[in-house]
Amino acid sequence: MDFEPNEDQTSILDGLEQLIASLDTTPPLHGEIASWSQLLDDTVAEAGFLGIAREEGFGLLDAALIVERLARLGISCEAAASAIVAPGLIEDPALRPVALASSINAAARFLPMARALLVDQGEDALLVEVTPDAVEPVETLFAYPYGRLKDPGSLPSTRLTGQGPLLRRRWRIAIAVESAGLMLSALDTVLEHVKSRMAFGRPLGSFQAIQHRLVMTAEQAHATLWLSRQAAWRDTDSDAAIACAYAQEAVGKVAYDLHQFSGAMGLTTEFPLHFWTYRLRALQGELGGSSIQARAAVAPERANALA
Amino acid sequence: MEFDWTPEQDAYRERIRTVLARELPADWDHIAVHGPGSDEQTAFSRKFCPILADEGLFVPHWPHEYGGEDLSSWLHFILGEELWAAGEPRGGQYMNVNWIGPTLMRYGNEAQKQKHLTLIKSGQVLWCQGFSEPSAGSDLASLRTKAEPVEGGYSVTGSKIWTSYAGHADFCFLLARTSSEGKGAIVILLLDMKSPGIQVKKIPALIGEGDIHEVFFDEVFVPEEDRLGEEGQAWQIITGALSHERIGIPRYAFSRRTLDRAIERLKESGRFDDPVVQDRAGRAIALCEAARLMVYKVIDERSKNSPANAFGNLARWSLIRADNGVNEFLTEFLPEGLLGEYPMQQAHHQRAIAAGIASGAAEIQLNLAATGFLDLPREPRRGL
Repeated sequence: MDFEPNEDQTSILDGLEQLIASLDTTPPLHGEIASWSQLLDDTVAEAGFLGIAREEGFGLLDAALIVERLARLGISCEAAASAIVAPGLIEDPALRPVALASSINAAARFLPMARALLVDQGEDALLVEVTPDAVEPVETLFAYPYGRLKDPGSLPSTRLTGQGPLLRRRWRIAIAVESAGLMLSALDTVLEHVKSRMAFGRPLGSFQAIQHRLVMTAEQAHATLWLSRQAAWRDTDSDAAIACAYAQEAVGKVAYDLHQFSGAMGLTTEFPLHFWTYRLRALQGELGGSSIQARAAVAPERANALA
Repeated sequence: MEFDWTPEQDAYRERIRTVLARELPADWDHIAVHGPGSDEQTAFSRKFCPILADEGLFVPHWPHEYGGEDLSSWLHFILGEELWAAGEPRGGQYMNVNWIGPTLMRYGNEAQKQKHLTLIKSGQVLWCQGFSEPSAGSDLASLRTKAEPVEGGYSVTGSKIWTSYAGHADFCFLLARTSSEGKGAIVILLLDMKSPGIQVKKIPALIGEGDIHEVFFDEVFVPEEDRLGEEGQAWQIITGALSHERIGIPRYAFSRRTLDRAIERLKESGRFDDPVVQDRAGRAIALCEAARLMVYKVIDERSKNSPANAFGNLARWSLIRADNGVNEFLTEFLPEGLLGEYPMQQAHHQRAIAAGIASGAAEIQLNLAATGFLDLPREPRRGL
């Protein structure tokens, strides 16, 4: 057990930090819901960060640390599917961004800019090669770009025989890892608010009723963080299901409380909180939601049927 | 960063399990159900702890100079996990070896170390902690028990309440005050419970037999040589000692083991086919795993000699959630466990309902994490 990054991980994260510092990562504050950044996506991909799990001597945990850090930004890129899910399922690392769906007809995150769509089909997975003109955008409150295939049957696809369980395991890890980063940044945003916002002559954050619930939120965010990191390290079905179940269950309370303590400000798109909470809300229901993952954690033999 | 055990750690855990399998009697569940402060478990601990000592598994985390093996933080915690998961066969003596002994090593004088550490190591002595009072629980500094300076020592008058293990205790780690003025007037006395003037009254409770008591002190004389540290130093000592206790008990280990057993029983009876039961079980397991990792983060920091910080308070909240989550699952889906069928389930229930109260109330943990971990502003004190 070692809960500190090793030298390689520190070096990778330092490099990522430098790259982030070179970009403008301020989220748009002009009524935008989603915060997709093509520049961020291109830059982290070209720098090789999203292919780390494919490299000798590195693995999913290293990818998880990168995804978690990128999720903390107010702007978003497609990192989790490329870095955590695609290795082992998509041979060509350049075939990205990657979208994930439980049905080929479903609206999926990142599909408007995706080059690949991985579909969970139970025992098998389906890899669909996508072009932007094959996708119609979907309007949503979820703070990711969403789209749906116009004519799914017309696109070239490859059946990945027997790879359904692998797809679901990695997808669960990816949801948990990304959730951890999102929760931590959402929490930071609200902590800043309650420390500076005054009510009844004192900061909001000095009221015990608020303090206790923020600590509970912090506990859930940090527990999600460590569960997701362990799941990425172990890459087992049960660890992945446990981490994802915990994360998806936590989203409801975390998102509710953080908006609650932001008051009416938190209901506007001028306050940046939704860039994290409405990404969390999107993840909350993926792969069937927390109940499916909780059941997969105790009855893995049924995981296929459940999903 | 990695999440695997080393071969040494695996072997150590296996060694403990082998000893437990050999030494715990067939009716251990029926002994443990009475609670760690009960006559039954206390009597068992007096036989069991010397066996652990012979096996080198009682105080291995103590420094060599005090008879230990300087065991690493991780191995020490593995020992705690396995013993707590088994229902804590050390009874109340876990407290002696985990924080009373180490506190004496750090702050005791040579005579105190010689006397008490030797007794604790033998596995035959029981301590209680005289902290809470009728009007001083979470607000410990407001304690009123008096330690009036008299020739050669102190005369102690007052009362303590909720005192675990007092009915069998040989010594009490007692907090009392020499005057009414603030934390600086508090002293720690290593009180011999056989001293004249002490009355112990058992409080019947939901959490096991003989676990909580009222203790009354009527002009009890305590020699000056039984004061730990200097006058004025007590608060510093107690703060350090409590920081060890915050996550001292790996409660999730007993919760997880009890939950796993329950799931097996539910499978045998066919009730686990219900997806609702599976759902709730999965969520309870997730809470246990979350608590385990949150606590491991603290142990990792401890193993690197990092100073204690308020992440420990956050981890304590995880422990409480795990105990309660498992308890809710068991009570709802396996109620026969509280109807005499599964003694260990009842033992778990009794520990779980105290999880947010014992060793510092949950709300105190949340307060400490709010200011110490989240850096939130303190709530202003209200004047009268």
